[in-house]
Amino acid sequence: MSSIRFKNVTKSFGAKEVIRDIDIAVADGEFLVLLGPSGCGKSTLLRMLAGLESISGGEIVVGERRVDQLPPGQRDMAFVFQSYALYPHLSVRRNMTFPLLMQQFQWWYHLPLVGRMARNRIEKRPDVVTKIEKTARILALTEMLDRFPRTLSGGQRQRVALGRAMVREPQVFLMDEPLSNLDAKLRTSMRSEITALHREIGGTFVYVTHDQVEAMTMGTRIALMRDGVIQQFGTAREIYTDPANTYVARFIGTPPMNLIHASLSGDRASFGSSQLRLPQTYTTRAEVLLGIRPNAISIGQKEGAVPGRVVIVEHIGAESVIGVRLDEARTAHEADQSMDAVMVTVPGYTELAVGDAAYLSFDPAQAVLFSSTSGERLRP
Amino acid sequence: MTASPISHTLRPLAVLALLGIAAFPIYWMVVTSMTPSSELFAERPNLLPSLGQISIYGEVFRTIPVARWLWNSFVVAAGTTVFSILLAILPAYALSRFRFTGIAILGFALFATQMLPEAMLVVPLYSIFGKLSLLNSLFGLILANTAFVVPVITWIIKGAIDGIPLEVEEAARMDGCSRIDIVLAIVLPLIAPTLAAAAVISFFHGWNEYVFAQTLISSEQLRTASVGLASFVGELSTPIHAVMAVGVMYTLPAVIFYLFAQRYVVAGMTAGSVKG
Repeated sequence: MSSIRFKNVTKSFGAKEVIRDIDIAVADGEFLVLLGPSGCGKSTLLRMLAGLESISGGEIVVGERRVDQLPPGQRDMAFVFQSYALYPHLSVRRNMTFPLLMQQFQWWYHLPLVGRMARNRIEKRPDVVTKIEKTARILALTEMLDRFPRTLSGGQRQRVALGRAMVREPQVFLMDEPLSNLDAKLRTSMRSEITALHREIGGTFVYVTHDQVEAMTMGTRIALMRDGVIQQFGTAREIYTDPANTYVARFIGTPPMNLIHASLSGDRASFGSSQLRLPQTYTTRAEVLLGIRPNAISIGQKEGAVPGRVVIVEHIGAESVIGVRLDEARTAHEADQSMDAVMVTVPGYTELAVGDAAYLSFDPAQAVLFSSTSGERLRP
Repeated sequence: MTASPISHTLRPLAVLALLGIAAFPIYWMVVTSMTPSSELFAERPNLLPSLGQISIYGEVFRTIPVARWLWNSFVVAAGTTVFSILLAILPAYALSRFRFTGIAILGFALFATQMLPEAMLVVPLYSIFGKLSLLNSLFGLILANTAFVVPVITWIIKGAIDGIPLEVEEAARMDGCSRIDIVLAIVLPLIAPTLAAAAVISFFHGWNEYVFAQTLISSEQLRTASVGLASFVGELSTPIHAVMAVGVMYTLPAVIFYLFAQRYVVAGMTAGSVKG
C-alpha cells in the first residue's frame, strides 16, 4: 500500500513560508503531478516527501507509515532528478546496481580490497544481474550497460536514471522535471514511455513539472500550485473544465481561458450591449468575470453576435488562433501581462486578417463565472 | 585566434628558453657530480658529464649514509601524505557541504596557519614536542609536517568537492547512503585527481622540509636527506661533487613520485567534466 497523504504540511526558510498548509491525499497507484510556475514550491514539496528537505510542520504519511522524520533511504522511494544525477564514475550497470548494493551494504565494503570483492559478489549475483538486465531491456539500455554516463546522450542518461529508480521496486517514484533537459521531440516520446511505465510497474508516482501538457497527459491527479499554496487539486479534466479560480483558468490551456468583465443578474451575464443567457441562475448580483475557453467561441461576420475587431492571427497548422478586441467590453487579461483580446481557436486556416470586423458567439454551456474581486469561482 | 608566423616560431623558442632556465641547474648538478674536484674550478667549465666519474655515486653510497637519509625522508614524506589526506578529507567535505555558525572563521583560521613561518613556530613546537616525547622521532616530524600541510590541501579538496553536483549526493541519499557512505563511495572516487594533486603537494612538503627536520631530530640515524645534504657544508671544506651526487639522488625519487602521480592528475583533467 503506498497511498500518500500530506497533512497540513508547511515549510519555512527563516521567516519566508514557501509551502503553506498542504493537505492532499492520493491513493495507491495514482500519478500525481505537482504543477506550477517556477518558484511555486512544487519541487520543495517533492523534496520534502523524499526527505531531502525537512518539513516545518504537519505530517506525511505513506501507506500506514508516517515518514516525515525518516532519512531518505528508509522511505522506500526513488527519485529521478532533472539533471539525472548519475554517478559519473560508475558504468551504467553499476549505476543501476548501486541502490541494490546499498540495500545490503556493510561498513567494511568500503575497505579497499576485501570490500571491492564483496561488492563484486553482490553485483554478480544471478538475481541482481537478471533484474538489471530485465530493466535494461525495458528501457532499451542493454547495449549501453558497460558504458559510462558521460558517453551517453541526454535521453539515454534519463533512461539510466529511470532504470536506477526502477530496480529498487520502490513504493513511490518521485520525479523532478525529469524531461525538461530533453529536446521537444524526445520529451514527447519519453512522456509516453513514463506513462507506460506507470501502467506496467504500478506504484505511486509523484511528478513535478511546469509544463501543463505533461501534467494534463500524464497525471491521474494534478495539484496546481502557486506561492506554496495548492490552487486546485483534481483530475486533468476537472482542472480544465471546472477551474477553481482565475489563476487556474489562465494557467491551463493554450491559449488560456478568456476572462471578460461582465455584470451578472440572475441567469444573464451582460457586457456592453451583449447578453449571454447562462444555463443556471445565480443568486448573486455582481460584477463578475465571464470565463470561456477559446474553443467554446465561434467567430463569424454576421451581425447580432458580440462585435469586435481582429488584432492578432496565428496559424499553428491544425488550427488558427484569432485574437479579437471587443468593441464594448474589456478582458481581465492584463493581470498576467496578456493582450486585451478574446482568443478564439478555429480549425484549419482562417481568412480573417488583422483589422477585420468579427462577431463572436459564445457557447453558454461552457461558460464559467468568477468573482471579479477575489478571482474565486462563482457557483449557482 | 590565429597565430602569426612570427609568434609561431617564437613561441617554441620561448618555451625552450624557459625550460632551459628551469632545467639547467639540474643538469649542472648532474655534470658537477661527475666532475673531479681538480677540474671543478678550471677556467673552461666542463659542460659535458665525464661518464668515467660515475663511480663517485658508488663511493658516496659507501662512505655516506645516503640510503638511510633517503629512507628517512621517504618515511616522513609518505607519512605526511597519508596523514594529511586522511585528516583533510572530512573537514574539506564539511567546509564544502555544511552551513554552520563560524564556518567563515574556521576557513580563515585554516589559512591563517599558513601566514606563520615555520622558523617562528619551531621553538614553541620544540618545547611541546619535548613534553610529549615526540622529539627525535620520525613520527613527530610527520605530525609537524602534517599540521602544516592539512590546511592547504583541505582547501584544495574542498574546491574539488564544490564541483560535484549536489544532486549526485542526493541521489546517493535516496539510494540509502549515509553521509560517510557518500564521502567514501561517491565523493572520493570523483575527486581522485585532486587527491593525487594533494598527494603531490604533501609528499613534496615532507620530502623537502628542512627547518623541523633539523630542529626536532638530533639522532644521526633519523636524519633526513635535506638535513644530511646540508651537513656536508663543512667548516673547512665542502666536497662539492659529493654534495651534487647526493643532490641528484635526493631529487630523483621526488621526480619519480611526481611522474607517477602526474598521470592521475592529468588523467583527471582530461577525463571530462565531473558533471553527470
